[in-house]
Amino acid sequence: MRSDIAISVRNLTKTYRIFGHPGDRIKQALTFGKMRFHREFTALQDISFEIKKGETVGIVGRNGSGKSTLLQLLCGILKPTSGTVQVNGRVSALLELGAGFNPEFTGRENVYFQGAVMGLTRAEMDARFADIAAFADIGDFIDQPVRIYSSGMFVRLAFAVAVHVDPDILIIDEVLAVGDTIFQQKCIDQISMLQSQGTTIIVVSHNPYHIERLCHQAAVLHQGKLSDLRPAKEILAQYHEMVQEDMGPSPGMNESLREGSHELYFEKVLIENASAFVTNRVLTNEPMCIIAEVFARCPMDNVRFRFELCSSSNDIVAVVATNGLSEAWQLNGKHRISFTLNPCQLTSGWYYLNAIASSKYVRLDTWQRVVDFKVLLRDKSAQDLSLDQGIFVCHGHWEFS
Amino acid sequence: MTLNPLHISADIWRNRYLLGQLVKRDVLLRYRGAMFGVMWVFLSPLIMLAIFAFIFGQIFQARWPQQESGIPFWLLLYSGLIAFNLFAETISRAPASVRGYPSFVKKIIFPVSILPLVPLGAALVHGGFNFLILLAALAWTGHLHAGILLFPLLITPLLLLALGLSWFFAAWGVFIKDMTQIVPVFVQMLMFLSPVFYPASAVPEALRPVFHYNPLSTVIESCRATVTGQPVEWGAWGMAFVFCLVAAILGYAFFQHSRDEFADAL
Repeated sequence: MRSDIAISVRNLTKTYRIFGHPGDRIKQALTFGKMRFHREFTALQDISFEIKKGETVGIVGRNGSGKSTLLQLLCGILKPTSGTVQVNGRVSALLELGAGFNPEFTGRENVYFQGAVMGLTRAEMDARFADIAAFADIGDFIDQPVRIYSSGMFVRLAFAVAVHVDPDILIIDEVLAVGDTIFQQKCIDQISMLQSQGTTIIVVSHNPYHIERLCHQAAVLHQGKLSDLRPAKEILAQYHEMVQEDMGPSPGMNESLREGSHELYFEKVLIENASAFVTNRVLTNEPMCIIAEVFARCPMDNVRFRFELCSSSNDIVAVVATNGLSEAWQLNGKHRISFTLNPCQLTSGWYYLNAIASSKYVRLDTWQRVVDFKVLLRDKSAQDLSLDQGIFVCHGHWEFS
Repeated sequence: MTLNPLHISADIWRNRYLLGQLVKRDVLLRYRGAMFGVMWVFLSPLIMLAIFAFIFGQIFQARWPQQESGIPFWLLLYSGLIAFNLFAETISRAPASVRGYPSFVKKIIFPVSILPLVPLGAALVHGGFNFLILLAALAWTGHLHAGILLFPLLITPLLLLALGLSWFFAAWGVFIKDMTQIVPVFVQMLMFLSPVFYPASAVPEALRPVFHYNPLSTVIESCRATVTGQPVEWGAWGMAFVFCLVAAILGYAFFQHSRDEFADAL
């Protein structure tokens, strides 16, 4: 391995053997593996990558995509089924905060013990203790048993130890999400400091902000396969798209329901995107068109149409209606009405549409959840990702004086 | 994987500080919160000794051939028990030594092979205090002589055997939870198969070979010999040493062979 490489992974595959019953493992051992009592589950498939010294790499992926398995393999906690992992330097792993802590012992004792686990002598820990205590900021609790700590104190102490043992390689699994904002900022600052000291860092996080803020490069892990390492921004965009694609309509959405006198009724209601394709996927920054085909059994006027856009949590997000306009329309037979939102402006996710037609006195046709549609982001820059929250994306203009 | 005993000891030596911390935690944790605290390290063997002295000295009035030198019977029993208890305490706790620390196996980078040594280390601490009490009791009854200094050396085969079995049971314990139930029964059986409550000379002729090849009985008899001042049978002891050393190496090999699957199984 070249000396500027911190981690080199070649054709790494990890297959778990799943035994239905603990005794099956013994049976298999007793037959020297000639009889199989297990099924196999491949968590990682043929992964190869290299991380140079001093680089920070982010790994994103859905739950169950194999992220934790990959980190455990990098730490040497798990053994690869095939392929190799070579690591150059001392690794400090934060797979679970405070995993080695014993609740019966005081914070101070646990700090020293954690140091011993990392291979530091008592004298080396003495030199670091003041920094650790200051970073954890738990005051006199440092001499109390860890079991009486609040969860916030616990994670602060655990994180403080892990980042103060001068690792060559720091592996962080989803632990930045703990603690309050101030502590998170402190963690990020500390990690930035380690970066400037040349520590190689691998971060797993679901928070796009952390990945973009900390990582030079990133990769998506999906169903046990790892993408190439690319700039964090590109990877985040790819990941976001993947998550959106995979996400189906929420099971909590209201059932489709239809009632009314049906002297006039909706034949169909559908969504068209900007290029006039019938679809149920629209982009947030492009026009979206609601099209309804209606049929009137007899000549009538004074009809109002109303469309309710509902979020996956069944809240009405917006209503468009023909009030004050359609009363003059003379309806008989088949008609087509449409409404264009330009641009769609909804934040990404699943929505559905309720269509309602009513005359002055009667509900002609009420069709709940007539069509589902999904709003996607097109440009997945982190800038847009950070705005993809709430109900809709505001357009407006800033002034500065 | 290496089977060279020097490499194995180097592996342990490298982690000596960590091992020391683990043993310290283990011993302290047992007494933490108790009213008498660490005093129990002295109190429990003293109580045990008092019970033996009363039951066997006053009630059973047992007499052994070794008592010709005038050593009270309960001291002979106690010297054998020190050796056996060291072994028994270690082995009984071995199956849980790795299984009891899943986070050390799965969540942090940790030299798992030293975990089975923790019960041994803790047992050694207790054994050490037992030994001090033995010395004090011998001095008090006027039977203390220089031969007793060989006691710690003579016990080494027992430590090696305990170590080998610990590695073995610890590995099995990860995969089979029943080991935590099976091993204490096995230890109790061994106690009666070893000359703890009786001298090896009391065993019927037909069963002698079984006892002759049991390293436990060789070691217990040797340790007892240092107490009574009788000569040690070095030939038998040497054989026991070699047997136990091989057991330790095999135990380590088995442990290292199966540890790859620990994280998957826990």
